[in-house]
Amino acid sequence: MADNIEEIQKSVKKYLIIGALLILFTGITVWLSYVELPTHGLNILVGMIVATFKASLVALIFMHLNHERSVIYKVLAFTVVFAIVLFVLFYFSKMDPLIFDGFYKLSE
Amino acid sequence: MDIPYTVHARPDTGLYNAKIGIWLFLASEVMLFGGLFSAYIFLRLGADYPWPVHDLDVTLGFWNTIVLIASSVTVVMAWASVKLRRYGQYKIYMAVTVICAGVFMFNKSLEYKAKFKHYAVKLTDGTILTGHMPEDDHHHTIPYQIKFGEITELSLTIPVKKSAITADPVGYVVPHIEDESPKFKTADGKEITLDDASFAELSAAAIAKAESEGKGSATVKLTAVTPLKAAAKPSEIFGYTADSITFRDGTTAKGKLIDDKMTLLVDGIDARGVAQPDKSLAFDHRYLGAWQPAFVANRDHHIAEFEEKYPTRDKDKSATLQKESLFYKIHSSTPPAADAAHGGDKHGAEAHAPAEGGHGGGHDYPTVVIDKKDITFFSNFTPKLNTYYAIYFTLTGLHGLHVVAGALVLLYFLVFNGRMLREDPEHLANRVEVGGLFWHFVDLVWIFLFPLLYLL
Repeated sequence: MADNIEEIQKSVKKYLIIGALLILFTGITVWLSYVELPTHGLNILVGMIVATFKASLVALIFMHLNHERSVIYKVLAFTVVFAIVLFVLFYFSKMDPLIFDGFYKLSE
Repeated sequence: MDIPYTVHARPDTGLYNAKIGIWLFLASEVMLFGGLFSAYIFLRLGADYPWPVHDLDVTLGFWNTIVLIASSVTVVMAWASVKLRRYGQYKIYMAVTVICAGVFMFNKSLEYKAKFKHYAVKLTDGTILTGHMPEDDHHHTIPYQIKFGEITELSLTIPVKKSAITADPVGYVVPHIEDESPKFKTADGKEITLDDASFAELSAAAIAKAESEGKGSATVKLTAVTPLKAAAKPSEIFGYTADSITFRDGTTAKGKLIDDKMTLLVDGIDARGVAQPDKSLAFDHRYLGAWQPAFVANRDHHIAEFEEKYPTRDKDKSATLQKESLFYKIHSSTPPAADAAHGGDKHGAEAHAPAEGGHGGGHDYPTVVIDKKDITFFSNFTPKLNTYYAIYFTLTGLHGLHVVAGALVLLYFLVFNGRMLREDPEHLANRVEVGGLFWHFVDLVWIFLFPLLYLL
């Protein structure tokens, strides 16, 4: 936690730079979505990588997760594990031989 | 009793209590949105239609992203300002944050409103026509209705014991009849106006008669004194034939079908679900036959351009190309001339649009009158339309609620915590930090929502 005055004064400049970076990467995300990569699945992957990078900036800098007490990281560790479980749940649908793959396959 | 550790850190955790609290709450919020994002993945993988890409207003979504990012910067600056004891700056940053929330929600309301007024009509061959219902002079949408005339007789079925379908003409029939208080003649020649009292009397007599005869239900016939007209949305009736219409209470009216055609101002022909898109039902001579050459020209133009730009890319697997070549957008009321050149960087229909098409800010669209037998499904762009719009409204709706809730909390700090700002600024700084943490989380969710729903 940045608690002394000098550190906060330094952070103010940092916040503005991060804000500008976030806007820049929003523009990049929009532009990338119009580029035809070899598969649309790749477009999604690249878009999500940029979004994750932006989200990390928000979490680390704005939400001060780059210097927090250990108890918060312990709480968040559980969240991360369960969130990953949620996002891989869809693999169960691959076990169904009758599943319709959709018009545009995500992985090819 | 004072809440402990609001300002100073608790020795064992090293944090003030509210901070532990907000992080536990945010951890559960991650699960909430995580579950919905997981649902998004399932719905997208299982979609039996081309998943909409760039279908929402990307420009509006982009600006809303900027607004939300800006508010994230201002809320953290507000916190820093309290820490640095710059109270004037704090107030400005906090106010800007709340204003940003208002702007975001205003844009969202514009987006939702446009969706509610926009319709998709699926034809029997898989073609989807998008467009608007006609409007009256006061810009109210004229709904699609089944219209009946020359209604002479109502046939009501009243079961002796209460059943799922019990005649309730006052609730289900009279509202659809054009005459405000229609008059009917009963079997014994009495003239009545259908209302709660007269119908209760009528049904009591009918039930008594059926019981004495040992029947399970009574049928009451009412003859209209003057022939009546009725109009109802398809969802308000059970069904109809050329000479009868059955309302949702089981009451059948004898009459004559006047009109069951749907009028649509078409702004798009989505032929992606059709085996031979150029022979789509949309290009039937009754509908948009005149637009077929323009559709084909637009398709070929996009395919040629794609093949030139991406020679190694499989054109059958490009979602964008499929959409651009087979989802034809209409911007004028008459089809473009066949020999119109493709000019500049504008594509297809846009390049064809007549120069005078932009008058009055709005577009003109061809009016198409669709036969009922050609329609399999229609809906406005709401959760009912498809799973994409279902998850779109669920995710953005829930996110919007978070924006409103977060803004209210920050507004409370700004308006009601003036004394705390002067007397106990460290306490307020902690409050703003915790409110800000929630606000950043709302921004963080949007960072994923924007590409997933608008762009990819």
